[in-house]
Amino acid sequence: MLEESGFVDIDIGPPVDTFGGAGGEGKARLFEVFGYAFLARKPR
Amino acid sequence: MSEALPVDAVTLRDEVRAKYRDVAVNPRGTFHFHTGRALARRLGYNEDLVARMPESAIEAFAGVGNPFSQGSLNAGERVVDLGSGGGFDCFVAAEQVGPEGRVVGVDMTDEMLQRSRTAATAMGLGTVEFRKGIIEDLPVENDWADVVISNGVINLCADKKRVLNEVIRVLRPGGRLQFADIATGKVVPEAAVRNIDLWTD
Repeated sequence: MLEESGFVDIDIGPPVDTFGGAGGEGKARLFEVFGYAFLARKPR
Repeated sequence: MSEALPVDAVTLRDEVRAKYRDVAVNPRGTFHFHTGRALARRLGYNEDLVARMPESAIEAFAGVGNPFSQGSLNAGERVVDLGSGGGFDCFVAAEQVGPEGRVVGVDMTDEMLQRSRTAATAMGLGTVEFRKGIIEDLPVENDWADVVISNGVINLCADKKRVLNEVIRVLRPGGRLQFADIATGKVVPEAAVRNIDLWTD
């Protein structure tokens, strides 16, 4: 979707266990939900 | 012709606003996600920065990752934060861009705006401004921002393409989007995608 919107130089960081130990952990585990840091650039 | 959205955008927005109103008013409440200083540490924010952040500036933090792990911001840069909540990421950004930079946080929830504005005033941060709005229609002029940041907010919008089009509009050519958000490793069943309660619980 980032590419479709016109972004370039896209990078995705490693997964972070955002919900571990929180109330939402069960659903997060069910669908393998993790947090990620994204970087994308608008073309010059 | 626009694509059909999986859920009604306005209904979802109302549910998200109600959820984060609760966080703003009662940040130590029980939610399905972590909040506050412990969450910032969990997500890898700079330990010294987290330690010296006033409680009022961090207790309603409810991010899902660390957008600054993709690189620190540069002195003098202009920043827009999509869904700025209690303001924590804006305050981190303000420290990185320094006195010549500018940070604009955008949020739709009055209680969060009140919280973030109060914290910014208490911290004496004149370079940070919070504006009321939705991220599908940003109250920011074209090509204004060097960087757009966000943390756990874009996933809560039904029309993500519209959000990304707005990011493209407000970024200067060559500007960057640094954001944290959740993603699934498994295909989510269609029925679950269309269950609006699962978007916020």
